[in-house]
Amino acid sequence: MEPEVSNQSLLFLIVFVLVPLTLSYYYQLGMNKDIVWSAIRGTVQLFVVGYILTFLFDLNPFIGIPLMVSIMIVIATLHARNKGKELPNVFAVILLGLITVEGSVLALWLAFDMIEFRPSEVIPMSGMIIGNSMVAMGLALERMKSEFTENSGRLMAALSLGAKPNQASHLIITKTLNAALIPNVDRLKTIGLVQLPGMMTGLILGGVEPVMAIKYQLVISLSIFSSVSLSAMFITMAMYRYFFNKNDQLLESEEELRTQSK
Amino acid sequence: MTQAIFSFKGVTDDILNHLSFNIYKNEKVMLFGPSGAGKSSLLFLFNRLRDPKEGKIEFKDRPITEYDISNLRRKVGLLLQSPNLFPGTVLDNLKYGPSLCGEWNPADAKKLLEYVQLPESYLNRKVDQLSGGEQQRVSLGRTLANSPEVLLLDEPTSALDYRTAEEIEEVLEELVDVHQLTMVMVTHDLRQAKRLGERGLFLMDGEIKEDDQIKTMLTEPKTEELKDFIQD
Ligand SMILES: Nc1ncnc2c1ncn2[C@@H]1O[C@H](COP(=O)(O)OP(=O)(O)OP(=O)(O)O)[C@@H](O)[C@H]1O
Ligand SMILES: [Mg+2]
Repeated sequence: MEPEVSNQSLLFLIVFVLVPLTLSYYYQLGMNKDIVWSAIRGTVQLFVVGYILTFLFDLNPFIGIPLMVSIMIVIATLHARNKGKELPNVFAVILLGLITVEGSVLALWLAFDMIEFRPSEVIPMSGMIIGNSMVAMGLALERMKSEFTENSGRLMAALSLGAKPNQASHLIITKTLNAALIPNVDRLKTIGLVQLPGMMTGLILGGVEPVMAIKYQLVISLSIFSSVSLSAMFITMAMYRYFFNKNDQLLESEEELRTQSK
Repeated sequence: MTQAIFSFKGVTDDILNHLSFNIYKNEKVMLFGPSGAGKSSLLFLFNRLRDPKEGKIEFKDRPITEYDISNLRRKVGLLLQSPNLFPGTVLDNLKYGPSLCGEWNPADAKKLLEYVQLPESYLNRKVDQLSGGEQQRVSLGRTLANSPEVLLLDEPTSALDYRTAEEIEEVLEELVDVHQLTMVMVTHDLRQAKRLGERGLFLMDGEIKEDDQIKTMLTEPKTEELKDFIQD
């Protein structure tokens, strides 16, 4: 079996763009330019990535894999740190976190022979790990910031009772981790029922036996689950201290957060 | 000769301007003044939730900065306007402070509830099921659990209705007497200041404009600012 989307049929994809375009035109959503631009951009982006991947897959794994994984980690770090720009060292912490997470997951995969050290396996799988970890870190950062603002009264009460920052933050850390894990637990619960995961769909369309596809999907789903947990934990533990100064006082304003790091 | 328990000398920062005064043991000091005067900011200096930029603060003749912060905060307890209870039961909240240093004695729970005049059956109630007044009592009990010598209060009744506020006032008055506490309380309610305290500090624009017996301040205010404030 050699399923393939032919180039001619690819042309008809334009129909799928015309639908939102017509909607936007008809209801004057003012998104015409955006829709056309994003469709073109997405297409070009994917083809470019396709060629880059072909190039990388042909490289020596010991060059191609570290190269691509590093690029992915740096881009993910740049992206995630936007969620916590006012916090000191956020770039370094996220970078270190992503390296730790990706490093340990990759080591486990290889140690237990779950995948082979080939660019065509390591790079897409790592991409999923890094991408999900990036989102998890960003969400954890945002959540932590809003929990600190919402609970400033409780934090002041805890400090006033003699709590150290780690003790006072306990409540916030718990809530942040909870928020990071719940969607993942839910996703695992419904996996395959509501939506066939992207990777499995891809493998099945590519002609792989469904049971085989499921094995890969299990590896990736559980790996994502644990990397996401690890990422949220890492970022929370590394960052909570920056909401206090060295005299166990709560920093309130953004300016204080930026300037008065520990 | 009574000894100063707190001594402020030239305390200055963005909000407060050269404050110098003493607080003596067992005094009941009422801090009042218009909104934004810096009352809360001043109060938080006593337990180092904030530090001033300049000036000296002494607690029992030693610079406040020489104390271990957690120990200082246990000795100088604080009650805020809203109860800010931790999720969980009344007991969880009461034991929070002492547990931090492994000093919780379960027998104290009953005593603390008695101090704040709540029935013993409340111990295992979830705090989000309590009324505002009850929550504020639990919050007070939680502060008292550390056996503080000084009690700081930042408008502890302003979020409560008149009746409930009066009940809290009664609880406070008795506690301060029984435990020989020194009390520094922020209030914008002058009648409450008169009921609960003896000495008043009138704060405005980060400065202490008057420091006198509250009764005297109300009957013969010396500054125009205080006159205006009383009239409002
Ligand atoms: N975290 C903060 N950062 C910067 N300025 C602040 C901060 N908190 C308060 N201020 C400012 O400091 C001044 C004093 O505030 P403070 O809360 O001490 O006043 P207050 O007398 O307690 O007022 P209120 O009666 O409204 O509680 C105000 O002008 C306020 O806007
Ligand atoms: Mg205030």
